[in-house]
Amino acid sequence: MSVATAEVITAPEFRAAGTDLSERRRSGLSCGSIIDLTASPDTIGIAWSTDGAARVGALTAIAAIASDARLAQAYPGITAAAQGLATPQIRHMATIGGNLAQRSRCWYFRNPQIACLKKGGSDCPARSGNHLYHVAFDLGPCVAPHPSTMAMALLAYDAKVTTDTRSGLSISDLLGDGSNGTADNLLASGERIERIELPAPLAGERALYKRAISRSYAEWPLVEICVRAVVTGGIFQQVHITAGGIAPVPLRLAASEAVLQGKPANAATIAQAAELATSGAKPLPMAGYKLELLTGLVRDVVERIAV
Amino acid sequence: MTTTTINGRVESLPDDPDVLLIDIVRDQLKLTGTKLVCGAGVCGACTVLVDGAAVASCLMPAQAAAGKAVTTVEGIGAAQLHPVQKAFMAHDALQCGFCTPGFIVEATAFCDQWRATKGMAVPSCEEIGAALSGHLCRCGAYDGIFRAVADACAGRFDGDNVAAPRIEARDKVTGAAKYTVDINHDGQLEGLILRSRDAHARITVLDLAPARALPGVAAVSLLGDDRIVRYVGDPIAAVAARDRKSALAALAAIKVSSEKLPAVVGLDAGRKDGAPVVFDKASRKRAGNVSEAAGGPAPWKQNIRGPTAVFSTRAKKARSWVDEARQANNRLLVEATFRTATQQHACLEPHAAVARFDGDRLTLHASTQQVFHLREQIAKRYKIDHDKVRVIADHVGGGFGSKASLGTETIAAIELAREAKAPVRVAYDRQEELSVAGYRPAAELKVALLASDQGGLKALSVTAHADTGAATNSTIAGLARLIYPAEAKDLSDFDVISNLPPGAAFRGPGGPPMAFAVEQSIDEAALRLKVDPIALRKRWDPDPNRQRLYDWASGLDIWRNRKPQQNGRYRRGIGMAAGYWLYLWQPNVKVEVAVKGGRIVASTATQDIGTGTRSVLADTIAREFDLEPSDIDVRIGDSSLPEGPGSGGSRVTASVMPPTLQAVRKLKAAILEQATRKPAPGSNAPWRELIARSPDIAVTEARGEDGKNTAPGIRSPLREVGLMGMVFGWMMRRFSNIAVGAGVPSSVQVIEVEVDTWLGHVRVLNVHTGIAVGKIASPALARSQACGAVIQGLGYALYEARELDPNSGDVLTAGMEDYRIPGIADTPEINVHFDEAGFDHVLGNSVGIGEASTVPTSAAVANAIYDAIGVRLTEIPIRPDRIVAALKGRTAA
Repeated sequence: MSVATAEVITAPEFRAAGTDLSERRRSGLSCGSIIDLTASPDTIGIAWSTDGAARVGALTAIAAIASDARLAQAYPGITAAAQGLATPQIRHMATIGGNLAQRSRCWYFRNPQIACLKKGGSDCPARSGNHLYHVAFDLGPCVAPHPSTMAMALLAYDAKVTTDTRSGLSISDLLGDGSNGTADNLLASGERIERIELPAPLAGERALYKRAISRSYAEWPLVEICVRAVVTGGIFQQVHITAGGIAPVPLRLAASEAVLQGKPANAATIAQAAELATSGAKPLPMAGYKLELLTGLVRDVVERIAV
Repeated sequence: MTTTTINGRVESLPDDPDVLLIDIVRDQLKLTGTKLVCGAGVCGACTVLVDGAAVASCLMPAQAAAGKAVTTVEGIGAAQLHPVQKAFMAHDALQCGFCTPGFIVEATAFCDQWRATKGMAVPSCEEIGAALSGHLCRCGAYDGIFRAVADACAGRFDGDNVAAPRIEARDKVTGAAKYTVDINHDGQLEGLILRSRDAHARITVLDLAPARALPGVAAVSLLGDDRIVRYVGDPIAAVAARDRKSALAALAAIKVSSEKLPAVVGLDAGRKDGAPVVFDKASRKRAGNVSEAAGGPAPWKQNIRGPTAVFSTRAKKARSWVDEARQANNRLLVEATFRTATQQHACLEPHAAVARFDGDRLTLHASTQQVFHLREQIAKRYKIDHDKVRVIADHVGGGFGSKASLGTETIAAIELAREAKAPVRVAYDRQEELSVAGYRPAAELKVALLASDQGGLKALSVTAHADTGAATNSTIAGLARLIYPAEAKDLSDFDVISNLPPGAAFRGPGGPPMAFAVEQSIDEAALRLKVDPIALRKRWDPDPNRQRLYDWASGLDIWRNRKPQQNGRYRRGIGMAAGYWLYLWQPNVKVEVAVKGGRIVASTATQDIGTGTRSVLADTIAREFDLEPSDIDVRIGDSSLPEGPGSGGSRVTASVMPPTLQAVRKLKAAILEQATRKPAPGSNAPWRELIARSPDIAVTEARGEDGKNTAPGIRSPLREVGLMGMVFGWMMRRFSNIAVGAGVPSSVQVIEVEVDTWLGHVRVLNVHTGIAVGKIASPALARSQACGAVIQGLGYALYEARELDPNSGDVLTAGMEDYRIPGIADTPEINVHFDEAGFDHVLGNSVGIGEASTVPTSAAVANAIYDAIGVRLTEIPIRPDRIVAALKGRTAA
């Protein structure tokens, strides 16, 4: 405990499972009122429409998503992402809505004694300080990578988010483009996520998810990607590649997608896509290694998609 | 009011939305088997089942459990132990035991589900690793946990077979074991510490009155006479109140004004000319100590204390030979600069103390590695009669060197309890534990190693600068004197003091950083001399204990079948390294062995920090009397018992075994003498009969000097260093109550890794650890120590680093998400080889294993990585960022 010159959040906050909020309450970072979200049939569980599209309630637990057989069939990238994040105990509790709306995991933001842009401060201490785990695509004033693995996977699926006041929001509509350093998402005050709508899967599409970390499990990704594609007759179609851990928001790797689109699934094309993954990158001085990891991940995952 | 069912009983839940499930379990119901460690859902120590699913109770709002069924560790095996619990006991899948309840809860859920769906199939290590990936064990009990979970799933513990090599294992697998943080006296207050926000400041105003004005609040100042705080987190004051929330309010009420002073942070800034000075001459006594013993005198200018170079020999000669070789571009000169990271102890039980005064008598429960010495320190500091202070530590949730002093938690608890006239608990939160509770300092090591044309070791130069923060007394380079004799050695140690928390002793303090640098340099020399690395060590290192280990290592299939370097994405490599620690023992240690009420009782004021001291005593005595270890009552963890050793410097086994054996001999004689009836002729348990019928007899013996019957080549390592070594040994004994014995506890490790060159990930596949620490007193527990030492060493090599804000000195890795210790799935296959010779001159033939067994790991990993990818990693931890940078020939940030 330290002398109070505390940099804290006093606004009311929603609570789903509390896996993020409880930690911030204990540290003193969050000290406004709590509004508990209660599940209704519309906000929990997985529903299917006749065209094969899924609707996932915001309060559905990550573990429920990770273990749903039909979801795994239709959206393997979502399933793999849900299986790969956090720990078994967290996945049993945490919800997909909470995962999208969680706050930054930046070690400056999480320290209630240090001011930063997301806590009303005037600059980003990570930029001039220690940003070992921060962005390689410097898109805005805050240099913390967005923490939501589910957002990165949902982006690959062109998912839409419905809130209590708006519908049809893309992940970019929800999280922005990284230029606003003061918030982790663009939800209005008091606006809450109700469900996520996934478009019906394409015939024959596949997807894989992978994160690069230093240990085997239970670590925030240094870099993570989700690759979704249809490969017919050895040709890449409908390629979606998204990446997390590298920018203030999950990114679509458009240059890599474009170079694969309609091309034969061979080593040369894949190598080219891997090289292009870093197009537009602007790494912070300590985070340059993330570009090599990103290249490696794209090569790894696209190779396996192609098989 | 809503309710939940906990272990079958309906319990009410408060409306306060900030109350978490763990608060209900621990505070309302006193079910203290559930532990609070990280408070962030990372470590799993607080795991409970909610409707059968494992969750982190430290994050789950209590109200979220409304209408559900909660099971804590106390609810598992309450009537009958679960097979998982029996398997954990049998495989010694635990050490300090603080993480154990969480593992048990998750593993029983996994096992039950596995059995329901897969019958008696045996889960793979990968399946077990994934299932338990939300749990961390700092002692590194993972090897046993794998075996325990696999066997429980396979149905091998369904019967009534309950056997445990660790005598307190049942208490640890059921959550019954009480640690300091679990102590809860009537009327106990919760203490918190107010800490500095600034890296360097003078406190001009400290007004505790507004805090004291709050109902039921006590407050004390923790400032020194100079009122200067020297690091972020330096203690200023402490408060106690009826609960944490009220204590937080009291902290906020304290008025503090300070005048900022210029600060300097870290190894590079601290060395710069004109950097702000942290300790002026008058305040140097306030500096902490990063070693296990007190230090000798050393030059100290501004922030640099050193060189300490007493272990050099012909230093000038060494320097001039190295200079000549450098000018001549001599290929046999190996030069490199190595950097090691700051390693946090990260004990899962935080530093904690509970103080209670009954009149003028003080009872202190403390999470300490030294119940006896702590009592002496408290009696001296507070001028209380020894007999009126009692320090108790029944179980200690890890220490690793960080709990071997009179710490702020203890001072605050005592002073608050005195002022409040009520018992007070002070337990660090995770942020405190990972910032101000000590660490192994980072270091920069410059090495120059010169081989002679004849293939001998001509000169070795090591200069070490240690990032000690507000502390001194690092010895890293000096340790290179006691291995690989050379014609000349130039060994200099420097402390670089800065406005960072003080470092502390950590398991073989300067050993791992010394080994990381020197063992890689030896490998590099082997490469240049075109000699097998083990053969070169055999040639250069005459120590008889290690000579036997080199023979063992060079005979391993994995070593003999090494493959040439590979290409491709995944590359495997094999490396080895040697390490040692001193054989230390504590004079004046006494052990009482007695017959009381027809049972054998052994007593000494030592403690078990997870190393297995209880079992070492029980096993040793049981062997002598031909009894079972469970027939022996072991009393430790209480300063009112005969003087026992501190759990540091791997000294406990070597300090308690000899007096125990002496006492047993005398006790046997006394029992026989007083026996009114001899055992029945041909009895197969003569001692059992004699003891059962014996009147109460107690024998107390003190630790005597070792015998002179040392094996050839076994000498006190300090004698080999000559006069300075003798002086050093004398000082250790005089000022630190530690004796340096003859013979060198050693370890040689051979490690295989696989490097993913695309993602920079290093997977450790196999570890062979050969250990020479004499006769093994308790084999299963020694194996646990050996595996844990490797796992901690892997953390040091691959994952662990304290990260700082370079400007403010804030520790950024103050949570378990950011300070990364190894998990179960990072555990390789570990093969342990004990060479039991070498210590015949010690009564019982056993010395400590804790430190020697962790020293070589990081170096062996680095040598294996070099073997795999052909690039030498000179900086740890060897994270993905460093691997990908090294492969590109770039220096990582």
